[in-house]
Amino acid sequence: MKRFIVSLIILSVFVYANSFAQKNIPVIKEKTASLRHLTIEPGIGIHTNFGTDLLFSNLVQWNPKKHISLATHSSFNINNISQRNFNGIKTEYNYSFNQKFGIGTTYYSKRSSNTFLLMAGVKYTSFKEILVSPDYNKVSAGVNAFSPDYGLMYSLKKGVKKHFFSFRMYVPLYPFPVKDINTWALDGNMNNIALEFGVGIKIK
Amino acid sequence: MKSITGLTKRLLSATSVIALILLLSSCKKESFNSGIIKEFILQSTANGATYCIKVGLPANYNSSGGKYSTIYVLDGKEIFGYVANKCKEISDKQAVQNVLVVSIGYGKDRSIDYTPTKVSEVTGGAPQFLHFIETQLVLKIEQEYNADTSSAGRVILGHSYGGLFGGYAFAVNNNVFGNYILLSPSFWFDNLVALQMEKDNRGAIKNRKQLVFMGIGEAENAGRMQAPFEAFYQALQNNYSDIKLAKNSEKNLDHLGSRNPNIEKGLNFYFQNR
Repeated sequence: MKRFIVSLIILSVFVYANSFAQKNIPVIKEKTASLRHLTIEPGIGIHTNFGTDLLFSNLVQWNPKKHISLATHSSFNINNISQRNFNGIKTEYNYSFNQKFGIGTTYYSKRSSNTFLLMAGVKYTSFKEILVSPDYNKVSAGVNAFSPDYGLMYSLKKGVKKHFFSFRMYVPLYPFPVKDINTWALDGNMNNIALEFGVGIKIK
Repeated sequence: MKSITGLTKRLLSATSVIALILLLSSCKKESFNSGIIKEFILQSTANGATYCIKVGLPANYNSSGGKYSTIYVLDGKEIFGYVANKCKEISDKQAVQNVLVVSIGYGKDRSIDYTPTKVSEVTGGAPQFLHFIETQLVLKIEQEYNADTSSAGRVILGHSYGGLFGGYAFAVNNNVFGNYILLSPSFWFDNLVALQMEKDNRGAIKNRKQLVFMGIGEAENAGRMQAPFEAFYQALQNNYSDIKLAKNSEKNLDHLGSRNPNIEKGLNFYFQNR
């Protein structure tokens, strides 16, 4: 069921974006959103693992040409924010940093633009759990680890003025299929699909 | 521009199709392809449930030669093929005798069978399930196949709630199995009841010869897995005098993704140290 949902999400994003492509290109000045060469888009978001992670992110996108996009995406995530004390297990801290760079393309329509990016970078995760039971009050376990971060990002910019509504969705391609082709590894991807919203600023 | 748009449409469509094919083609459960499978149904006298049992025999199985050790696999419906094929691969590589692999299918519900205490309607059936394994399943396997009848010749392999059940069996009825492969065990269950059971029974079992491998995913950060896992490991490390003990945290993988790599590492540890 999860595999079906992931493939449906990917397919839906592609089909939705495909619907904006037009056979007959209209006169740009009158009918499409203005080209934004450089934008900064801060946002907040969640991961799709029941929405227990809170994300603070920023996307900087540069379009040197109309249909060529380069981007850098940074994110600080507070993970598992709603279950910090569970069944005698206390989470002292749980956060991660992501830094990715990407390349892709942008399609324009009347009042919006749609960007598809292939992203690659690194993720740093740090968390620590301790047992609060008096029998085990000295036992703690933690992870401080770097991992690769590859994936596909879709970015929507809605509006034609200097400030605009910004939405983005990130679908990781790690660990499945880059690290492990076994679909059981998909739970790592599913827990890190990101949905982010914010207000973007056109710099140039 | 017109041709670029058309080309892009085709590229997008092709990418979608390729992605779907890739996903769908890797969906198949691994089947046992290196030996003989025997199947039967067994009804538990303890809880009335019926269990589909599969026995994987090595291709060169000898019914009258040396006794075979037996690995009892929980969630057998999902991982029997993978475990059995890995046993063949590892035993060939290490040039040692292969094992019998017994897949235990689902009875009423894995949540009932694998959890030791009743915290809801669908929990708390582990005592009856363990009774079924000890008094019915093990007896049948050891009567009908050339299996080692000592606990040292029996392994229990479980993941998630299955790992919890393995920990429960270790703590409360240490006579059944002498070897435990506990993967991402749900030791958080019912306020760490499995840890308490181990502590309560430690005095009687801490000097026994046994083997325990514990595995987890490094990315299991939902605030319930890592600390209980570490606590159980430390309890064994600090208190058991004659135990072969190892653990592994599988890098960058989560609860389900780490299962198969940890199965392989656990089996390697067992074959090297049995």
